[in-house]
Amino acid sequence: MAYIWPIGGGKGGSGKSFLTCTLGRLLAGFGKKTLLIDLDLGAANLHTFLNVPYPTRNLSDFIRKKCSSLEDIILATPTPNLFLISGANDTLDIANLPYEKKMKTMRSIAKLQYDCIFLDLGAGTSFNTLDFFLISQNGIFIATPEPTSIENIYRLIRSIYFRRIRQYFTAAAFKELEDQAEQDFGSEAYNKPECIMQTVQRLYPETGAKLENDFNSYKFKFILNQLRKQDDAGLGPQMCRLIERHLGLKIEFVGNVAYDEHVHDAICRRISFLDRYPYTRAACDLRRLGGQITDSAGEHLMFDID
Amino acid sequence: MGKKFAKLNYYEMLDIKPDVPSFEVRNAYNAAVQMYQTDSLPSYSFFSPEERKEILACLEKAYLTLINEKKREDYDSELIERGILDESVRKPAAKKSVNIFNINRVQGRPDAAKNDSAGLRAKVLESNLISEIIAQEKISGADLQKIRNELAVPLENIALETKIRINYLHAIEGDDSQAFPAAIFLKGFIKSYLKSLCLEPAEEVCTKYLNHLASLAKKT
Repeated sequence: MAYIWPIGGGKGGSGKSFLTCTLGRLLAGFGKKTLLIDLDLGAANLHTFLNVPYPTRNLSDFIRKKCSSLEDIILATPTPNLFLISGANDTLDIANLPYEKKMKTMRSIAKLQYDCIFLDLGAGTSFNTLDFFLISQNGIFIATPEPTSIENIYRLIRSIYFRRIRQYFTAAAFKELEDQAEQDFGSEAYNKPECIMQTVQRLYPETGAKLENDFNSYKFKFILNQLRKQDDAGLGPQMCRLIERHLGLKIEFVGNVAYDEHVHDAICRRISFLDRYPYTRAACDLRRLGGQITDSAGEHLMFDID
Repeated sequence: MGKKFAKLNYYEMLDIKPDVPSFEVRNAYNAAVQMYQTDSLPSYSFFSPEERKEILACLEKAYLTLINEKKREDYDSELIERGILDESVRKPAAKKSVNIFNINRVQGRPDAAKNDSAGLRAKVLESNLISEIIAQEKISGADLQKIRNELAVPLENIALETKIRINYLHAIEGDDSQAFPAAIFLKGFIKSYLKSLCLEPAEEVCTKYLNHLASLAKKT
């Protein structure tokens, strides 16, 4: 079974796609059979990063049943060992993926025979993003050291937390739960997953224990991207500490990636940043991250394949 | 799961171990304020204004309790009573730093160092023994020691006052020429010794002692 790393970040432009393609190239370079899946539905552009300008097949073909299996829509890229499922030129309504199709896609992804699979998720906190992020325990969060990005990353983390609780309940039961939490913790409790969690533990101890087990087994990671010289390098660990203390969610801080003008240049030329500028600070950071991420992978999927 | 912040104990609030010294309490408080203050980047949008205010109030209370030695002790015993803290946290106070150079040595015992010169002078004039010895042709180390004993001044006091090493003083009293300081210092040391005993006239007594030494040297 493949290791699956979903990569998410609340805000656009924080470097999700860039990180996906860089990590993909890095691991492919290590000789691992690597697949990148563009799940930024409706705003896909991973193919451009990878210099596959006119993808012949895309995710829509699978979802609209033009192709019966996910293997059929996998594209080769100019980089050896690196493969892509593109979202380019997909149908315009793909952003609103119905639940059954999403589940089917997730199951198919989990069955793919690759060493490593990276999921490039869209910004924001739509159900697509959240559910795909929860596909495995290895989710990677990425943010930049700006208030806007930090605001969105906290929002995303809370949404994912919330979504996980929600997955254990039916709509009616969850509504009841929200009302109860509101009674316990005041009118804003529906917005605070940690409050709802406490109510769950009180009312449904069994589900509470399961959820707690889930949250404890997550090996989420956090990367701070585009760190400029004047930024505080201690920001990332502080944020992870905050999340652990106040949300009870352990997120490992993997490291900072330095800001580098050359990234822009590499993207414009559609070439690999690591190959073109291997000795920049950012490239060194990225290589170190790549090593660290692959070293500490948990392989549990968060749902049953069948 | 994350406990509510206000329910944590002060050590947990500041994220420190219960046995840390007070400067670490201060550091931890500074770090926590950095993290939780209104315009801090890491906690941006994480808390509502009310939550933030509450947390900052808790932190301040924790800090003010733990930074005060007396209050911290009381708080520790409260925690121990509630079974939260282990008794072993209480240990003897941390060792204080030690000066390599004990510059306080003389100031530590100023009374002992200063001989009461007026009293000594009176004693010198009263004592027959001393005037007899001073009248002698030559004065030996043993004579000096007799005078000192008559005046009841310990050798240590002279050493402290004159800052002459005590083994030199012993050498002077014992006529021990092997242990003498360099010849150039000897006269000065003897005069200091005599002055600290308030023996008058110091110059004359010194000469007599040196004569005695010279005669000793001749004999051998």
